[in-house]
Amino acid sequence: MANFIVNGQAVDVDADPKTPLLWVIREHLKITGTKFGCGVGQCGACTVHIDGAATYACLTPVAAVEGREVTTIEGLSPDGTHPLQEAWVAEQTPQCGYCQSGQIMRAADLLANNPNPSREEIVAHMSTNICRCGTYNRIISAIQRAVREA
Amino acid sequence: MKTPATVRANRRQFLQGVGGLTLVIGSSGLITACSTEEAEQIAQSEGTDLTANIWVTIGTDDVVTIQYPGTEMGQGTSTSLPLVLADELDADWDKVNVETVTVHDERYGNPFFQNMLYTAGSLTVQAYFDRIRIAGAQARRLLIESAADRWGVPVSELETEPSVVVHPVSDRRLSYGEIASFTEAPKALPEIEVEELKPFGQHRYLGSDIPRRDVPSKTDGSAEFGIDVQVPGMVYASVLRAPVEGEEPIEVDDTAARAVAGVTDVLQVPDGMAVVAETYEASKWGKEALQVTWSENSPFRQANLETDLAESVRRAEDMSLSGTAWRSTGDIAEPFADAAEVIEATYQSDPAYHAQMEPMNATAHVTEDGMAAELWVSTQTQSLSILGASEFLETTPDKITLHPMQIGGGYGRRTLRRQKYAEDALYISREIGLPVKVIWTREDDVKTGAFRNAAAQLMRAAFDEDGTLIGWHHRVAAPQVLEYMNAPRWEASAGRDVIAMLGSESSRYDIPNFLAEHIITERRSRVCAWRGVATSYTKFAAESFIDELALAKNTDPLQFRRDLCHNNPRALNVLDNVAEMADWSRPREGTALGLSLAGYSSTFGAGIAEVSVDRISGVVTVHGFWLAADAGYLLQPSNSEAQLEGNVIFGISNALKERINIQGGMVQQSNYYDYQVMRMNEMPNIEVRAISTDNPPTGMGEIGLASVGGAIANAVYAATGARVRHLPLLPERVLAALAS
Repeated sequence: MANFIVNGQAVDVDADPKTPLLWVIREHLKITGTKFGCGVGQCGACTVHIDGAATYACLTPVAAVEGREVTTIEGLSPDGTHPLQEAWVAEQTPQCGYCQSGQIMRAADLLANNPNPSREEIVAHMSTNICRCGTYNRIISAIQRAVREA
Repeated sequence: MKTPATVRANRRQFLQGVGGLTLVIGSSGLITACSTEEAEQIAQSEGTDLTANIWVTIGTDDVVTIQYPGTEMGQGTSTSLPLVLADELDADWDKVNVETVTVHDERYGNPFFQNMLYTAGSLTVQAYFDRIRIAGAQARRLLIESAADRWGVPVSELETEPSVVVHPVSDRRLSYGEIASFTEAPKALPEIEVEELKPFGQHRYLGSDIPRRDVPSKTDGSAEFGIDVQVPGMVYASVLRAPVEGEEPIEVDDTAARAVAGVTDVLQVPDGMAVVAETYEASKWGKEALQVTWSENSPFRQANLETDLAESVRRAEDMSLSGTAWRSTGDIAEPFADAAEVIEATYQSDPAYHAQMEPMNATAHVTEDGMAAELWVSTQTQSLSILGASEFLETTPDKITLHPMQIGGGYGRRTLRRQKYAEDALYISREIGLPVKVIWTREDDVKTGAFRNAAAQLMRAAFDEDGTLIGWHHRVAAPQVLEYMNAPRWEASAGRDVIAMLGSESSRYDIPNFLAEHIITERRSRVCAWRGVATSYTKFAAESFIDELALAKNTDPLQFRRDLCHNNPRALNVLDNVAEMADWSRPREGTALGLSLAGYSSTFGAGIAEVSVDRISGVVTVHGFWLAADAGYLLQPSNSEAQLEGNVIFGISNALKERINIQGGMVQQSNYYDYQVMRMNEMPNIEVRAISTDNPPTGMGEIGLASVGGAIANAVYAATGARVRHLPLLPERVLAALAS
């Protein structure tokens, strides 16, 4: 049994300890905002926060989060009002939207550690996350907007 | 006029509302309007010959529900198309609900695609624009006439504000919902002249960048993609597919697979082995534990990209071979025979993978008798998902209940008639009698993907003694892609393979004798329309070639194209715009510019790339890309710009480093580490300009891609004098061109 906290709620999941956290969240807990893209830590679609730090859920066995706090996109705010989420809407950033949960979680990790990043710092930090639709410029604008309006 | 209509039984739910008025829209506008109760009766009666059918309901609570016949994949048409109707109807957009059509009904169909519900080719707005505008205006007139009748005043004294009819003289107001509650089906529908429609530029919503309805749910994790589906009682399956197309398992040891905790079943599927389990991870571990000997007898085992492409080159260059004409103007025989000068060049392009972020997946629940199914899938085509599923199950389309989900990247990948991932889920569900979710790994997705086909192209140009371009011959050696994608559609297309040939028409240029023809090659992999369909490689060849011709004639590449476009103002306009954006005539130090004029269907586009080339490594760096596009009247200008930017990134990524390599029938790439796509830190400076012109709106979803390959190749030439004629422009190819 894996015991950990997801978005502030304690959970108790019957899963093989080597199960990637990604699949525990998505298919056991049915919290599906965190996405599967590659399974090998290349695309960033599965980015969650573990004890506040951005991590690839696809590469994290659920045993590794025993007793720890996991935050998914659903837990970033109760109602979509995190400054990044509001900025994402204002900039109309998403296209297909599939990578965007991971992008926002990655951006939240950036701003938690660097509240006023330069464009270069944004780009360096966010390049872990692929967007095939090519929304990169609006991801940057949204992060900059969130910084301005925070 | 009450016109009976055959309506699918599963639309009854939509028609059950709060009373109100239902509008039936035909191919040229409004066909009928009736009470929602009547519409429900009509739904149960036999049909006549309504030619198309898009429903709008105005509820007595003022809520306007518009059915959207396409699919949303981030291009924004699930907002922009309903906006067209809301604008002409003068409905309050905040009171508009949009619902996606989930049935295969040709009367909702896209006329560009045999009246299928099919979202591709950047054609959704273009397909429905006129009828939606007219229907909206007719509906508005209907509401005004009904209010006029109720008040006993002349129609001419009435106006509308969003969702309200107003009589200023007497200061009376009726909301659309109130009117809908007492409006009877009209004896005759209002006739609207085109001149009565809102002129371009005077819309309330169109042109004003109304926020897209699909965006908020994509920022909070609530948007539901195919892969997110959760069905009570659902199990999971992973499929070990034959390494080469057409092969089967001949010996299977599933002992280890069955020993994985949670695995409930191991069964053969048409071309592989499926492991079924209570959890996704168990199904995947089970699949990895399978020991399978494959038949290894498929002719596709002979597929080898290098030799296959060489064979395509041979066929393209073999003038004894001819093919179906894609575009033929005048007659090229004489101009080439009598030419003062003939220039020829051969171009090659490797297969490309869509690399969409959501791997293929589907969830299906087949009934016990195997003759009906519920199917949840990310699809670009409700019609083909339904038809393909019904054909696979050997049942009828009305037996398929489709749930089209949000799409994590379409780009053409999700348009096949036979959707393998859906068939996996259908087959397994039918066998085990439970709902099943099938998820392909990224490796599955790459190795059994359906790719942009490889192509070899021979370009030939004939000049007369005055140096005028009098003949153009574009031979595209490619497989019959459309046949693989959709056999019935192929049968109806008289040999015209739009997927393999689009862009080879080079229609902006005034060339009196022109032939673009499709030289058929053997299909060597699963193939599918890629974003931009063939334009990514046809324009690479055509626009690289135009530069080669310009050079031969000692003419600036921009001027050479301007001369050829002399009678095409829209083409001249995009050329001039992009040249101005990039400051074309300013000499660069250390970098060089390359130009491409590349339209996509009826949309005009031109791009300029600024590159530098490392002569030691052959690496091409794109520093900047400028793109000007004219898609007529822009419904959502900012969204159009987002599309253009996204296109350019997609195209640069492909032009520089994306290739699928097939050896012994097997795809060599596996995941994003060996099929690399552009990341944020590789993005050049991109400037796009979406030019709104007074022309019918056409597509913005793919125009940016078309110009990228040619512009970069031309810039590489300008920087180095090396002509690279093989996409992608890999460093070794650049080095080879430098050396020669």
